[in-house]
Amino acid sequence: MPVEGLVYVIDDDPAMRDSLDFLLDAAGLKARLFDSAVSFLEALPQLGPGCIVSDVRMPNLDGLELLKRLRETNKSLPIIIMTGHGDIPLAVEAMKLGAIDFIEKPFEDDRLIGTITAALSGAAQRQKGDAVAADIASRIASLSPRERQVLDGLVAGLSNKLIARDYDISPRTIEVYRANVMTKMQASSISELVRFAIRGGLLKD
Amino acid sequence: MPSHIPPATTFDDTLLQHGLEDSGIGAWDLNLATRELALSPTTRRLFDLTPDEGIDYTRFLSLIEPEDRERTEHAIERAIADGTHFDIQYRILTPHRASHWVRTRSAVVKQNGGTHLCGVVIDIEEQKQLEAALRIREGHLRSILETIPDAMIVIDSRGIMQFFSQAAVRQFGYTEREAIGQNVSMLMPNPDSARHDSYLARYRATGERHIIGIGRIVSGKRKDGTIFPMHLSIGEMQTEGEPYFTGFVRDLTEYQQTQARMQELQSELVHVSRLTAMGEMASALAHELNQPLAAISNYMKGSRRLLASDTEDNRQKIESALDRAAEQAIRAGQIIRRLRDFVSRGESEKRVEKASKLIEEAGALGLTGAREQGVSLHFNLDPDHDLVLVDRVQIQQVLVNLFRNALDAMTESAQRTMIVTSSRAANDMIEIAVSDTGHGIAKEHQARMFQTFFTTKTTGMGVGLSISRTIIEAHGGRMWTEDNPAGGATFRFTLPAAPSEGLTDAG
Repeated sequence: MPVEGLVYVIDDDPAMRDSLDFLLDAAGLKARLFDSAVSFLEALPQLGPGCIVSDVRMPNLDGLELLKRLRETNKSLPIIIMTGHGDIPLAVEAMKLGAIDFIEKPFEDDRLIGTITAALSGAAQRQKGDAVAADIASRIASLSPRERQVLDGLVAGLSNKLIARDYDISPRTIEVYRANVMTKMQASSISELVRFAIRGGLLKD
Repeated sequence: MPSHIPPATTFDDTLLQHGLEDSGIGAWDLNLATRELALSPTTRRLFDLTPDEGIDYTRFLSLIEPEDRERTEHAIERAIADGTHFDIQYRILTPHRASHWVRTRSAVVKQNGGTHLCGVVIDIEEQKQLEAALRIREGHLRSILETIPDAMIVIDSRGIMQFFSQAAVRQFGYTEREAIGQNVSMLMPNPDSARHDSYLARYRATGERHIIGIGRIVSGKRKDGTIFPMHLSIGEMQTEGEPYFTGFVRDLTEYQQTQARMQELQSELVHVSRLTAMGEMASALAHELNQPLAAISNYMKGSRRLLASDTEDNRQKIESALDRAAEQAIRAGQIIRRLRDFVSRGESEKRVEKASKLIEEAGALGLTGAREQGVSLHFNLDPDHDLVLVDRVQIQQVLVNLFRNALDAMTESAQRTMIVTSSRAANDMIEIAVSDTGHGIAKEHQARMFQTFFTTKTTGMGVGLSISRTIIEAHGGRMWTEDNPAGGATFRFTLPAAPSEGLTDAG
């Protein structure tokens, strides 16, 4: 499926840039590489339409800061955040700042490329009304009140122990609820759960 | 005093008598037939008698200190019975002053049909007092020698034991009786035991000192045949022109056991603190490891896609991608190897290492994430003074620790600069300094910086700096801190420089 626009890859690690370039090329996407958010912002006024794939941990200007700066510009490029490890609060923060998705390294190529092509074709903005989003919303609706509380806690980046304290139930019980939430949401990991929650509209400021 | 009087032709008896009297030697004469006693003026003075006081043998005996009386009387009676002479020391009781010692030498003399016991009386009070003082001193010395835990053994120039202290008895298991008079070589295992006589001979011949005045750790052998480590120091003395050697022996069995245990605990602690440091770095390292893994995954997935389209010109792209993936796999491997080396409980082995390389490798571990934090790193390393003699893993641990501390200290700083320098220091040492622009060290914390379990961090264990200092000191170096004039702290430590490569053989 041919799409318009470039993929702007921002990562301070040369191997990450090069390998992403290769992967995107193999998927028929054209990439332009930046070794820092600063150099990307400098080039931004001249850039055409496209989608940003940026690392979150970078010297000088990190991924979250980049999101804030982008909000201030009138160019609204969709941005996908890559993270080295499943840092839920960081991911939630990124989503709140307008990232359309966040993915953990190393990532599934299908998911990355799917997200990028969707973004490039402008589908990301409309996704909320999509069947996928509706499906996720129905999964959220199937949760019991207690399970919903646990989901809220997990998405807020709280540990089992903290959630248990908030609702005054034992951490062991929370574990059971948590397992139920994962099953009902059809999430295989906490980060996927957070992603679903965001797609399902649970997390908008 | 000879028992025969010299002939009158040679000596004037009267003159001699005066000489003797004036030099404090009294004369006495006991007529054995009458038991009459004639005393010279000096003798009267020594016995505390007035010049005209009458005296006989019985009265004389009563003048003797009761304790000495029987012994003295017995000696005199035996001399009379055997017709020989006696030499006896006894105390005279005096009414006016304390009893005092005299010595009497007399012989049986026959003259003009009569038999006499005559001779001289000398005051030996002073000599006796000296003797007593000596005895007290010797008693003190002995009790001191018996109290000190070190065994003391004195041998003569042939190696025969002359003195064997109580501690020596305890250490070696021989009694004083069994040891004294025996060759000291019985206290040593072979080969020293067989060679000790030749050691002594060599010393007598050459005067070359191998152990005297130096002190050394050698092996000792107990009576039961067991061998034990001991520290031996030897002193030499000359008594009456004869050389004697005094050996002080300290049993090191317990000391060595304690040392070994201490070392074990220390290396355990060093290891634990390395693990702690690892835990603190885990998140940064996970990120570091994720990079090559993600890159590999990208190359592989990309290749997979190209293979699916199956066109000939993709072949070269795929080959190149596979090469780059392999490079990234190696990069991941290196990260893991660094970790493994750091965490492994390596034998403490000092080697000649390049300080620059240690700093670089430690930086790869300890400075993970520094660039992302916006820390600018500067290395001013002296290439001419680079070789140090160290245990690589331990020094890297120190460096990692200092690096992590510097990064932690700068998290709130506007300016984040870390400078690592190496330079030559006095006494053949190389100084390494790690300087940051962080919050510095509060005055009240400075004194306690290096104490174990002291920490200003919310999650710290407080072992890092204390372990670091221990490690540096075990290398013969020093570690200290300074405030930077522009803010922040500098940690400095020294390490022994290794001779440069060309000198290795000569060194």
